[in-house]
Amino acid sequence: MYTAAAGMAAQQTRIDAVSNDLANVDTTGYKSARLAFRDLVYDSAQGYGAAKAVEIGAGSAATSIGRSSAQGDLQQTGRSLDVALNGPGFIQVKLADGRTGMTRDGNLQVSPDGRLRLSSGQLVDPQITIPQGADDAAIAIKADGTVSYQGRSLGQLKLVDVPAESGLQGGPDNTFVATKASGAIRAANRSTILTQGTLEGSNVDESQAMTDMIEAQRAFQMASKAITTQDQMLEMANQVKK
Amino acid sequence: MERGLYIAAAGMVAEMVRQDQISNDLANAATPGYKSDQSQQRSFNDLLLQNTKTGETIGKLGQGPLITKTVTDLDPDALKPTQEPLDLAIEGQGYFGVQTSAGVRFTRDGSFQANAQGYLTDQQGNTVLGSDRKPVKINADGTVDTAKVGNFALTGVKKQGDSYFTGTAAGKGTGEIRSGYLESSNVEAGKVMVDMMASLRAFEAGQKAIQTIDGTLQQAAGQVGNLPA
Repeated sequence: MYTAAAGMAAQQTRIDAVSNDLANVDTTGYKSARLAFRDLVYDSAQGYGAAKAVEIGAGSAATSIGRSSAQGDLQQTGRSLDVALNGPGFIQVKLADGRTGMTRDGNLQVSPDGRLRLSSGQLVDPQITIPQGADDAAIAIKADGTVSYQGRSLGQLKLVDVPAESGLQGGPDNTFVATKASGAIRAANRSTILTQGTLEGSNVDESQAMTDMIEAQRAFQMASKAITTQDQMLEMANQVKK
Repeated sequence: MERGLYIAAAGMVAEMVRQDQISNDLANAATPGYKSDQSQQRSFNDLLLQNTKTGETIGKLGQGPLITKTVTDLDPDALKPTQEPLDLAIEGQGYFGVQTSAGVRFTRDGSFQANAQGYLTDQQGNTVLGSDRKPVKINADGTVDTAKVGNFALTGVKKQGDSYFTGTAAGKGTGEIRSGYLESSNVEAGKVMVDMMASLRAFEAGQKAIQTIDGTLQQAAGQVGNLPA
């Protein structure tokens, strides 16, 4: 019975993860959760009417192994300060508390004092200052992150990455912070480029998520059926003497 | 007392063990690379009954069933595409090797991830072994060379839990490693549900047998000894 209950708990985790993915199907730069399942420890059933060689498992468990690295769909916005990352990596930003953050949300803006920042207010790191009175539409951002205005270079968006994205900790507003588990921030692979005038959509594949949901639901149902059956057996055992 | 009571009870206990095993299969219906179990029952050695007075042999009597063995179905199952570069599956025979603190273990579950040092690890954070038995490095673009990942042929395969198998590596597995796929659990939902029902009914039959024997005993105790006043 506990075995089946563990299986139900694992499937419940999966349903929760898929629900969260589906809720973020329209979130810019959202990466779907990756879950892994494993069976649990096996123990000898000796003494319970079985020989020593018979081992019974204790069900299954779910582990989160980070987020999918798959590229989200690129959505054309035409806005010159929208940039999408094509390939693995992040744009480096400075969080309000001074820590270095990373984001894939390339919906950039110019702050009132002329600095380039995320829509949530985090400044890009290193800082880039846009000249007073500059026309946003005339700002050019190249594939390597170089920001220029009327042919004059203003700075470069730093593209960074970590060895283990699954170890990243979520920071405020769509940003991530490196941890010991993720490894130190390093320059992103050169194949990663920025595309101006586009935003990266969520990488949640709706039909895949729905299929996953159905599969999880059925697995949950089967495990619950196992519990009902075992309960029926215990009831019968209790009725041996009617 | 009546031997039949104990025989029927032994049958019921064996069915409960089988149900536990079935539950484990069902709980792992979605675990990548999971291999289902099958219980084997046999009867206890038969007893030779003798008449205690004359020593004359009456005949044989069984003592009910005992689950003696679990057979794991190790056949490879179908691969399911996931599009994740670090999800690996072996198409065909073989096992991935993983370095755990207790030694090298083997698995068919390729839900892998990267660690802080840039090496390929399994879901528990243990490094995956390459064909040279050294950890496998992940490429700068976040993919992994399937040719570098080890595929081991195993003998004496035994389940250990946490998706691991123990066994002795003997050469290279014949299967091909594919990136972006996971091997499905080989639990056949339909078959397992039928097994579960059959087991429940066998259990019920044991219960009925006990009730019947109890009924006869009741008659023996209540009616046979009931002398008319």
